[in-house]
Amino acid sequence: MLFPTATFALFFMAVLPLSWLLMPRGHRWRPFIVVASFVFYSAWDWRFVFLLAASIAWNHVFAVAIHRRTRPAARKRLLLAAIAGNVALLGYFKYYGFAVTSTNNLFAFVGVDVPLEVRSIVLPVGISFFTFMGISYLVDVFRGDFEPTSLSKFAAYLSFFPHLVAGPIVRPGELIPQLDTPRDPRYVDTSRAFFLIGTGLFMKVVIANHLAASIVDPVFGAPDQHSSLEVLVGIYAYSVQIYADFFGYTNIAIGLALLLGFQFPQNFDAPYTAVSIQDFWRRWHMTLSRWLRDYVYIPLGGNRGGRLLTYRNLMLTMLIGGLWHGAGWTFVAWGAIHGTALVAERWWRERPGFVEHPWTPRRRAWHRFATFQVVCFAWIFFRSDSFADAWDIIVRLFTAWGETSPLVTVGVLAAIAVGIGSQYLPSRIPLRIMAWFSRLPVPAQAAVLGVALLATHAMGPEGVAPFIYFQF
Amino acid sequence: METDRQTRRQRPRERVGEGGRRLHSAGSAVVVSLGALLVGAFLNAPGIHKSAHIQSEGWKRDVALAVTGPLDSVSGALLLDEPRRGLKAVLGRSDDDEIDTAVALPESPPPGNPGAEPQPPSPPPTRTKFTPKKQLRLWIAGDSLVVVPGESLLRAAAANRAIQRGAEIDGRIASGLERPDVFNWFDRIREVMRKERPQAVVVMFGGNDDHGFMTGLPEGVQIGSFGSSSWVAEYRRRVAGVMDTISRRGGFLVWIGLPITRDAEQTRRYDTINAIVSSEAAVRPGRVAYLDTYFFFAGDDGGYAEYVTDSSGKLVKMRAGDGVHFERAAGDLIAGKVLAELEKRYDLTSWRKR
Repeated sequence: MLFPTATFALFFMAVLPLSWLLMPRGHRWRPFIVVASFVFYSAWDWRFVFLLAASIAWNHVFAVAIHRRTRPAARKRLLLAAIAGNVALLGYFKYYGFAVTSTNNLFAFVGVDVPLEVRSIVLPVGISFFTFMGISYLVDVFRGDFEPTSLSKFAAYLSFFPHLVAGPIVRPGELIPQLDTPRDPRYVDTSRAFFLIGTGLFMKVVIANHLAASIVDPVFGAPDQHSSLEVLVGIYAYSVQIYADFFGYTNIAIGLALLLGFQFPQNFDAPYTAVSIQDFWRRWHMTLSRWLRDYVYIPLGGNRGGRLLTYRNLMLTMLIGGLWHGAGWTFVAWGAIHGTALVAERWWRERPGFVEHPWTPRRRAWHRFATFQVVCFAWIFFRSDSFADAWDIIVRLFTAWGETSPLVTVGVLAAIAVGIGSQYLPSRIPLRIMAWFSRLPVPAQAAVLGVALLATHAMGPEGVAPFIYFQF
Repeated sequence: METDRQTRRQRPRERVGEGGRRLHSAGSAVVVSLGALLVGAFLNAPGIHKSAHIQSEGWKRDVALAVTGPLDSVSGALLLDEPRRGLKAVLGRSDDDEIDTAVALPESPPPGNPGAEPQPPSPPPTRTKFTPKKQLRLWIAGDSLVVVPGESLLRAAAANRAIQRGAEIDGRIASGLERPDVFNWFDRIREVMRKERPQAVVVMFGGNDDHGFMTGLPEGVQIGSFGSSSWVAEYRRRVAGVMDTISRRGGFLVWIGLPITRDAEQTRRYDTINAIVSSEAAVRPGRVAYLDTYFFFAGDDGGYAEYVTDSSGKLVKMRAGDGVHFERAAGDLIAGKVLAELEKRYDLTSWRKR
C-alpha cells in the first residue's frame, strides 16, 4: 500500500477519524492503531505480519527481562542475546544470499568447491527499519535511558504505520512518551502536515519519478549508449532522484503522523547544501545518522581512543551504514567512500598548524560544490548493480564528450534545478506559506490542496513507482 | 488546584504554532483531508477513471469503475476536468487519459483460390551486412520483463559499431497484448516501425497476459477463461499480428520467451503463452526467432532457481526477489543469445575482419 495511491487514501481516511475518536481511551486506541498498522503492512505480504509480531514480542520480552535484572553481567548477556536475535532476523532475510554467494565465490576463486545451498528468500519490506528501532529500544532500556513500556504501547511504537516501511527511524524516547498521553484534538498542526504531505507527493511523484524514467534508468542501464554529458547529468539526476524520493516519502510520513497528532523527528535538512561530508551526514537521513552514531560509533569507542581508533570507528560505522542499505559490495563501497571522506576531513582538521578560516561566501560555495561532487561520486556505486557497472559509468563520463545528448532535456534540467534549488530556499518561505495556508477558511484549504493534487497527479508519469528506500 | 483547572479550561492556550501558523482541530484535519480528496478527485477524474479501467479484472475494478465512471461524467459536465486537460496539453501528453482499446493488426493475406495448392512459405531473406557506416537500427520493447535483458543487450551492442547507438528500451510496466487499454502496443509498434524503421526488433510480451481478461476484442467475439480455445485463438491472432506488423515493415523480430517462475501455476500459464508464440514464430522462419529462456534459469532439478552457477563456476543471482523478474546476470545471458540470433540473420561482425 504505497502512500501516493487511492487505496492508501481510502485507508487513511478511515483511520484518521477513528483514531481521533478513540484517542481519549488509550486502551482502545493502541489496539486499534496496531491493527491498522498490521493491515497496512499486510498489503505487501500478509505472511510478514507474523514476522513483525514476532519482532515486537521478542524485543518486548527481552527489554522487560533486561530491566528486571540487576546484575550488570546478566543484563549484558540478555542484551547481546536480544540484539543477536534481531541481527539474525535481518541477516537471514537480507544478507543470507549475499553471504552464501560471497563465500562460495571466494572459495571458487581459490579453486575450492563449497556446495553451499542458496534458498530463495523474499525480503520483507521495512525490516531494516523496524529491526533498528527494536535494537534502539533494547539498548535504551539497557542503558537506563528508558523504562520498558507496556506491550501494547511498544507494539504501537514499532508498528506505527507512518514510519513502518521506510522510517524515519524514531527513537523510543521520541514516540513512546507521546503514546502515554492522548494527543490534544484541539491543537493539530494541520498546515504543516498538509504542507509536508503536499511537497512530499510532488517531490516523489513529479521530480523523482520523472528523473528516473527520463534519464537515470536509461543511463545507468546502458551507459555505453549515452554521451558523457548524459552520463554526467544522469549522475546528478540520480542524486536528486534519491533525495526527492526519500525526502518525499519522509515528508509524507511525518505529515501523516502529524495529522494523527504525533511528532516525528526531522530526517533531512537540505543535504546538498552541506559544506563537508560530516555536515552532509548531519543533514541526510538524519535519523539513521543518529542511530549509527549512538548505537555503533560510540559503542565502538567513538573518538575516545586516539586518532587511529577514531578513524577505524568512523570507517566501520560507515561500512555498516553502507551494508545496512543493501546486501551488496557496491553498498559497502558507497559506505567506504563516505568513511574515507570523513576520515580525510578529520585528519585535515586535526593536522598540526590547521587554522579554521572564516566562512566567506566564496569558500562556502566551493566547499558545497566539492562536497556535492564527492556525494555524487559515491551515488554511482550506490545505484550500480556491480563494480563493473559503476566502472562503465565512470569511464563513460570521460570518453564520450561531443556526442549528441537527447536525454538532457529542459524537463530533466528543470527537475534537477527544483530538486537542488529547493534546498537553498530560506526557511522563512515555507513558514510563511504554512502560516498563510493555516489562516484560510476550511473550504479554501481543501480547494488549495485539491489543486495541488491536480498538479501532482497530472504532471507525474503514469503508474506509481515504489519508493527506493522500500528495498532497504 | 481546582481553580487552576477551571482557569485552564476557560482560557485555552493560543492556537498558534511555529512561524505564526494557526493550529486547527482534529475535526478540521478530517474535513480538509476529505474535502481535498474530493476536489482532487473531480479535478483528476479522467486520470482516476483510466486508472480504474486499467486495473486487473475483479471486484475491485468493478467497484472502482462504478465510482469513477459517474465521477468522470460529472467532472466533464461541470468542465472541472478542463484544467487537467490543459495541463496535459501543455506537457504534450494529451493522450494520457484516453482509454484506447483498439487492436489494429495487419490484414491477413487474401485467401487463395479454393482448392488451390497451399503456397510454400517465402524463402528466408538474405543475410544483410551491417557496418559502422551502415548501422543496424535496433528497437527493444515489451513489458517490465524486457528491461533488464534490454539493458544487457544495449551494453553488449555498444561494443559492436555496426549497431546504432542511442537506442532506448521501450519497457512499459503492467502492459502486454491482452490489455491495449493499459498500453496500446499495437499502435506503438506500428508507429515505431513506420517512423524509425528498425531492422532488428527484440520484444518480450506475455508477463502480464496470463489472465482470462482481454480488452479490444473484435465486435461479437467473446473469450473464455485463460487457456480456453477462444482465448488461445484471440491471443494467437494478436501475437501473429505483432509479428506480421514488424516483419512486413522489414524488421527481423527476436521474441524472448517467458521464463520459469517461482510460482508453478504461473509457470504453467506462461507455458501456454510460450507455446503460442513459439508456434507462430516457427511459421515465419528468417523473419521471427523465438528465444526459449525456460531452461536458462532452471536449477539442477529442473525447477525454479534464484541462484545459478554460471559457466565460470560462480554462483550468481539470476532472478529478482519477486520470483519473476531478472537480475543483471540473467539479462547478460539472454542478451548473448539474442545477439547470436541477430548474427544469424544479419552480418554484424565481418566488417571487423577487414
